[in-house]
Amino acid sequence: MNEQTHMLDIDNLHAKVEDKDILKGLSLSLRPGEVHAIMGPNGSGKSTLAHVLAGREGYTVTQGGVKFRGQDLLAMEPEERAAAGVFLGFQYPVEIPGVTNLYFLKAALNAQRKSRGEKELDAADFLAYVKQRVKQMQMDPKMLHRGVNEGFSGGEKKRNEILQMLVLQPSMMILDETDSGLDIDALKVVADGINAMRGPTTATLLVTHYQRLLDHVQPDRVHVLADGRIVKSGGPELARELEEKGYAWLQPQKAA
Amino acid sequence: MSSLEHYARAFERLPASARTDARRGALSRLLELGLPTTAHEDWKYTDLSSVHELAPDGGDIDGEAPARLDADADGVDALNAAFAGGGLQLDVPAGSHRAEIIVAGGNGHRRHHVRLGRGAQARLRLDVQPHAAFQTVVLDIELDAGAQLTMLRLQDAGADARHLTRVRARLGRDTTLDLSTVDLGGRLSRHDLVVDLAEPGAQVHLRGLFVASGDGHIDNHTRFDHRAPHGTSRETVRGLARDAARGVFNGKIVVHPGAQKTDSEQRVANLILSPKAEINAKPELEIYADDVKCAHGATFGQLDLTALFYLRSRGLPEADARALLTLAFAMEPLRAIPDADFRREAIGRVSAHLGASIEEMS
Repeated sequence: MNEQTHMLDIDNLHAKVEDKDILKGLSLSLRPGEVHAIMGPNGSGKSTLAHVLAGREGYTVTQGGVKFRGQDLLAMEPEERAAAGVFLGFQYPVEIPGVTNLYFLKAALNAQRKSRGEKELDAADFLAYVKQRVKQMQMDPKMLHRGVNEGFSGGEKKRNEILQMLVLQPSMMILDETDSGLDIDALKVVADGINAMRGPTTATLLVTHYQRLLDHVQPDRVHVLADGRIVKSGGPELARELEEKGYAWLQPQKAA
Repeated sequence: MSSLEHYARAFERLPASARTDARRGALSRLLELGLPTTAHEDWKYTDLSSVHELAPDGGDIDGEAPARLDADADGVDALNAAFAGGGLQLDVPAGSHRAEIIVAGGNGHRRHHVRLGRGAQARLRLDVQPHAAFQTVVLDIELDAGAQLTMLRLQDAGADARHLTRVRARLGRDTTLDLSTVDLGGRLSRHDLVVDLAEPGAQVHLRGLFVASGDGHIDNHTRFDHRAPHGTSRETVRGLARDAARGVFNGKIVVHPGAQKTDSEQRVANLILSPKAEINAKPELEIYADDVKCAHGATFGQLDLTALFYLRSRGLPEADARALLTLAFAMEPLRAIPDADFRREAIGRVSAHLGASIEEMS
C-alpha cells in the first residue's frame, strides 16, 4: 500500500503512561472510506491508543509514529488535530457546568473554521445548522441550553459525542467505546450517526469491547489488540468469532 | 496607640455639629481598642497596618448618623461609629412590597440601617465607593416575621481602593435573607457578614464569588448563628485568585443549643490560577444541638485538566479553553441568583471583569 493513499498511518507505536509500557509496537493503517474496529480485552491499550491519537497529556510516545494525511500527527496540539479533522469520541465525556452545549458547539466549530482560514458562522446560521443535527440524534433541543453533559445520563452523553461529531464534520473519527452504556434504541441512533459520516473521504476507528455496535456499523476490518499490539486482523467475521469465543484463545501460549 | 492619633486629629476637624457625644465616645473606643491586627485570629491574613497610615475619609458627615456601639464592638465598629455619615435609613412597613431596587451607597464612612416590617419585601443593593482610599460601610438589617430581603453586594473597586464592609442581620421568624456577594477589585477588601437566625424558621441564602487579581487582597468572613429551631442556611462560595493576589474566606456556622432541625449547608470551591496566588479558606462548624443537618465542603484546585483536554480536542485553543473554564467556574453561584435583575447585573459585571463576551452562555 502506498502511504500517500492512507488517511491514518500508525507505525510501530510504543507509548507509556507514567512508567508503564502500554502500547508495544502497534501498527495500523486506514484508507479514506474505511471503517476499522479495534477490539480487545480490558487493559489491552485501546483507550491509550485513542488518547495518544487525540493528544492527551500524560502519555509518552517512546518509539514509532503516527501520520495523518502524511503529516506528523504527534507533533500537533490537540486543537490543531481537531482543526485538521481528527475527532475523538470520549469513553467518559466530561461535564462542564456553566458552558451551554450551544455555546460550546459554536465556539468549537468557529475555532476550527478560523484555524482553517474559513469564515465563522453567525449565530442564526449556526442555530439552524445545529438544530437539524440535534433532531437527527433524536435529542431534545432544550439540551442546547443546558451545560455540556451536565446531569446527562450515560446514554445522553454518548449521543452528545455523536452530535458534536455531526456538527464538527471531522474526517478521521476515533470513537472510544461509544457503544458502552447504551440501550438498544440509543445504540441504533448512535450507529446511524456514525453511518451518516461514512463516505469516500472519511475514515472511522471504532474502539470497542463488544460486537453489538458492529451489527449496526459494518467494519471493513477488525483488529484484535492484546498487550499493546495487534495480534490478529480480519474481516467482520472476526468480531463474531470474538463474541463467541472471548479473547482467551488469542493470548500467547504460556511456556509449559 | 500613637498610630491612631491622626484619627483624633481628623475628628477635631469635623464640623462642630458632627462632633456629638456619641461620636466622641466611639472615637475614645477606637483609640482604646485600635484596629484589629494580624495577631487577632479573625484578622490573621488581613493586615490593616497600611490603613493605619491613612487619614479617614470623612465624606459628608451630617450629624444625623446613628453612632450606637454594641458592647462587643471592635475597632472597626468604633471607627465607623465615630466617622460615619448618614446612610440609608430604610423602614419598610409591614406587608409592603417595594418593587424598585433600593441602593445603600455614598462616599466616606457610612452606616446604613434597614428594617423590614412583618411580611414586607424589598430588594437592596449595597455599594461601596469604587475609588475610596479607605472606606468603612456598616449595614444593620432587621427582618420582622415573614419579611424577605433580597440583596446584592457588588464590589468592583479600583486597584488602590480599600474597603471594610460589615453586614449584620437579625432574622425574625420565617424570614428570608437572600444575599449575593461579588468581590472583584480593590487593594484591600474585607467583608464581614454576621447573620443571626434568631427565631424559628429563618432562612439565609448566600451566594458569593470573589476574583482576586494583581496584588489585591479580598477577605470574606461569614458567620451564621442558628439560635432557633428549623433554621436553614445555604452558603455557596467560589473563590478565584490569579497573579500575586490573595483571597481569604472564613465561614463559621454555629448551631446553638436548642436550634434543633437546623438545616445548614456550606460549599466552598477555590481556583488558584497562578503559582504566586494564594487562597486561605476555612470552614468552621460549631454544633451544640443534636438533631441537625449540617453539610460542608471546601475544595482547592487548578482547572480540571480533563475538561481542558475535552475542549481542546474539539478545537478550542488552549488559552480560550482556560478562559472558558475559568468563567464557567466563576459563574456557577451567580447563575443561581433568583432575582433576574441582580443575576443579570452580577453576571454582566463578572464577565466584563474576566474579559469575556458570554451573551450566549447562559
